[in-house]
Amino acid sequence: MTAFALLLATAAVAYGVGKWLRLPAIPALIGAGMMLSVVGVVPREISVGGGAGATNLLELGLVFLVFASGVELNPRRFKRFGKAVGWVAAVQFLLAMTVGFLCSLLMGMGKLEAVYMGGGLAASSTLVVLRHLQARKAMFEPYGRVVTGVLLLQDVALVLLIIALSKVDGGGWEVGKGLWKAALIGGIAWVAQRFVIPKFVSRFKPDEENLLLWLVAVLLGFVGVASWLNLPLIAGAFAGGFVFSAFPLNGLVRGQLSSLVDFFQAMFFVALGALLGVPEPGLWGQALVYSLVVIVVTPPLVALVAEWRGLNARAGIESGLLLAQTSEYSLLLGLSGVMLGHVSPETFSVLALTTVITMAATPFLGREAVANFLLPFHPLRKKEEAGETPRGHVLILGFGAAGMWILKPLLNQGEKVLVVDDDAVVCRELAKRNIPFLRGDGAEEEVLAKAGARDAKLVIASMRRVGDALTVLNFVEGVPVVARVFEEEDAERIRQAGGVPVMNSTAAADTFMAWVENNDRVRS
Amino acid sequence: MTGVGFLEELGIIAVCAALLVALGRVVRMPAIVVYLLCGVLIGPVLGWVEMSEGLGLVSELGIALLLFLVGLELSFAKIRDVGKVAILAGIGQVIFTAAGGYLLCWLLGFGLMESVFLATALTFSSTVVVVKLLDEKGELDSLYGRIAVGIFLVQDLVVILILTFLAGMGGAEGGKGVEVDAGSIGMGLLKAFGGMGLLLVLSLLASKYILPRPFRWAARSPEMLLVWSLSWCFLMVFAAHEFGLSLEVGAFLAGMSLAQLPYNDDLRRRVHPLMNFFIAVFFVALGVKVDAGGALANWWPTLVLSLFVLVGNPLIFIGIIGGMGYGRKTAFLTSVTVAQISEFSFIFAGMGLSMGLIGAEILSITAMVGVVTIAVSAYMIIYNHGLYAWLLRLGLLRFRFLDGKPGQGDAIRHAGESLRGHVIVVGMNALGREIVRRLVNKGEDVLAVDTDPVKLEGLPGRTLLGSVGYLSVLEEAGFARAKLIVSALQIEETNDLLAYRAKSVNVPCAIHVVDLSVVENLLELEADYLMVSKVDGMKAQLRTLKEMGVLK
Repeated sequence: MTAFALLLATAAVAYGVGKWLRLPAIPALIGAGMMLSVVGVVPREISVGGGAGATNLLELGLVFLVFASGVELNPRRFKRFGKAVGWVAAVQFLLAMTVGFLCSLLMGMGKLEAVYMGGGLAASSTLVVLRHLQARKAMFEPYGRVVTGVLLLQDVALVLLIIALSKVDGGGWEVGKGLWKAALIGGIAWVAQRFVIPKFVSRFKPDEENLLLWLVAVLLGFVGVASWLNLPLIAGAFAGGFVFSAFPLNGLVRGQLSSLVDFFQAMFFVALGALLGVPEPGLWGQALVYSLVVIVVTPPLVALVAEWRGLNARAGIESGLLLAQTSEYSLLLGLSGVMLGHVSPETFSVLALTTVITMAATPFLGREAVANFLLPFHPLRKKEEAGETPRGHVLILGFGAAGMWILKPLLNQGEKVLVVDDDAVVCRELAKRNIPFLRGDGAEEEVLAKAGARDAKLVIASMRRVGDALTVLNFVEGVPVVARVFEEEDAERIRQAGGVPVMNSTAAADTFMAWVENNDRVRS
Repeated sequence: MTGVGFLEELGIIAVCAALLVALGRVVRMPAIVVYLLCGVLIGPVLGWVEMSEGLGLVSELGIALLLFLVGLELSFAKIRDVGKVAILAGIGQVIFTAAGGYLLCWLLGFGLMESVFLATALTFSSTVVVVKLLDEKGELDSLYGRIAVGIFLVQDLVVILILTFLAGMGGAEGGKGVEVDAGSIGMGLLKAFGGMGLLLVLSLLASKYILPRPFRWAARSPEMLLVWSLSWCFLMVFAAHEFGLSLEVGAFLAGMSLAQLPYNDDLRRRVHPLMNFFIAVFFVALGVKVDAGGALANWWPTLVLSLFVLVGNPLIFIGIIGGMGYGRKTAFLTSVTVAQISEFSFIFAGMGLSMGLIGAEILSITAMVGVVTIAVSAYMIIYNHGLYAWLLRLGLLRFRFLDGKPGQGDAIRHAGESLRGHVIVVGMNALGREIVRRLVNKGEDVLAVDTDPVKLEGLPGRTLLGSVGYLSVLEEAGFARAKLIVSALQIEETNDLLAYRAKSVNVPCAIHVVDLSVVENLLELEADYLMVSKVDGMKAQLRTLKEMGVLK
């Protein structure tokens, strides 16, 4: 219990420091764990493979964390961007893994160890990136969808890699057998997800306590099957999570699971940091090199493939920057390698340090300002044909699915209109109707100049981010800008910059209240 | 990552418990009884699971979290008004039950030392069992629930006193006698009671001066709030352990010091899943530890002593509580909660065995009486209101000392019951806040829900802090009795879940659509109204253009 109290207290400090420094939780927790070893108070119960109660609890934490990722494995989230997701995930994972592998060879590692290192560098952190996207309310943006999909596919790839590498000592036949068994356990999970568990739940209608019990039973049942098939336990945990990945089950269990995941995440990563201790200075150097590799290689790879598959340049760059860190799964891969004797403790320390550094850099790299800074350096950015710059027109920035509402009355009145949008489908539709348009990002000064923003009669900004509208306001100087926003503080920022804000939220509240007034079921 | 011993054991527990829970629903068996049966089945009967260190730790965590939750539920103010009855009834029950139990054991032919141990073991009631059941029933906060918790805490102190006393006794060679180390007993008691006083003062001061500010800062991040609270809980548990106190005392005081904060309800809901998971292992482990063979060999005393605990103990209690001026129903409901013995009884008997003061059969009898009384009393507590009505009809509760009592505090109010025909608005972004304001202005009874306490500040109408991802939050919001559920959230999964939940209770719902890609799902879920804020914003933009003279 003492070890337990110490780990939790350390986690509490890590959360506090992390919040203060605006760091993601995982690097803060690992760092705090390392500090425990510096102070010399690492509980003796914590040891890899040890039989003590605290270690048992960490094993349980590990399978819970993997299980929670399996629960999120719902392809519906990125259905619309399926092709882009597939291409970005495949190209980024394979190329980044190759680069990581070659770097490791250059740094003197053996081939097998280099494969572990390459795999570890290729995956990005689902926990860190999803939290970042949620904080920025970017889950619905195209790049948010693509990034979410890529992360989920990377998780699957890394679980398969862990399985394959766990069998590599037995040769190719054993690896094949291992992957076949993984397919088998995946198949069982699929059958359970589609046909068994939903029926079970709809028949028994469990309360939260019973649902949690069944969830744990399914998790540990799959871990048992994995153990019986001689697969790594996390293969079972991941498959168990997949069983609950379909709606509404994933929604029903998410609340119950989130407390367990928060708790086990805190315990697991602090303990991991404590186990690692503070690596020697030489290892820090190596970790910095690997971190640079991740930060330099991943963004361009993702940006290029994402743009090729239909995202605009800025969204591509943002996707790349957001994916430029190693994953919690990288640590599991490394830990598995250490247990099998494939990876030295020093290499694992380097991988862990790389994870801490790159995860800590994510809040900085994920800023809009960084993407905007990198935008001019994008080599394949679509250049529009130089043509005549319009004047005295109404410029509509961001058309989306509802743009026709505003466009029609303007056209009917005989206004000269130009639409700027980065969505290829929208542009195709506009072309069909002979409506003047410019494909591009309305927040880019180059595009604004091309669209004659400074000479426009009026600019209507309907872009997702308030920062984009402020960029426009800055650029046009004196041209009236009407911008749609959601929050009151955003409206205030627009007002202060000289624009005219229109609040989506207030407008939606108006319509909602009218519905309430006219709905008998609600009114009674 | 390779060792599966612990996970294998836990897996067997979870799978068997889940199957038995499903079967148990057919006969409406309380979860605690299912867990105990599961433990007996996979432990003594089938021999699949033995108590390992890991399972022991998980059980302890469960107990600590359960008592932490009780503390979160009961602030100092709530516990203060039942302090007197708790102390008097707690001590009275220990004296009367011990005396009755001793007499019974003597009549059953047990020797002096065996009778003393059995009688003492019968006096402890299980805080964990009762709190778990009251929590399930949502009656922890009722008058009888608070009295029961107060009594159990007094009993916990008596347990500490007795265990400290026992620890100060050294077993002589061959178990033929005992040596009493008065100095060590005195020191132990001084440490325990001094520690208790110190922790109580610390938790009082912390609740008022130390915790509010940092927790206000942490509360905006739900995961941070959870980890900070758990950390506080286990630091107090650690401190209690250092003073020789039970972990229950430390966890309870930690919870009570956080109960004063405005986030205690949200915290309770977040700790709940953790507690449910760990406490299930605790109950299964209790079953695993039972020596069924030994107890069956002594079935007669096991049966008699079980009946004494199930019937005699509540009767003693009705007398004490009723005599203190509480109503018939409160006296009955409180007394039903003590109809079982505690896990401490096992520890106590185990210590006696290890010191050579009693034989193994006494430990077996104690364990079996424990399992039987916990199982039967679980039914009694779950169906306590029905049992009361039935006994009243049979005329078995017509004690003279209960006649004419006004029955103070007999009414039980469940969370969220006062809400009916209200509108629940989830997500206090600009849209949510605007809708709340307008609905309140229209005269509607509105409940605003959000995970961020700052966003709930300054809103008209009622507010509830919590995540609607937890069913318990919606239940507390009285969602099944609401006239409308509105979600202004911009989180696809939570909106889908809300629409699903609303449909399941046939309450209309209005959901915010941030992106048109989510419309299909929401239509499939039969959401009644979709707030497409972007389209509404476009229309508002048109009006603005007209006002600006751009459009005619």
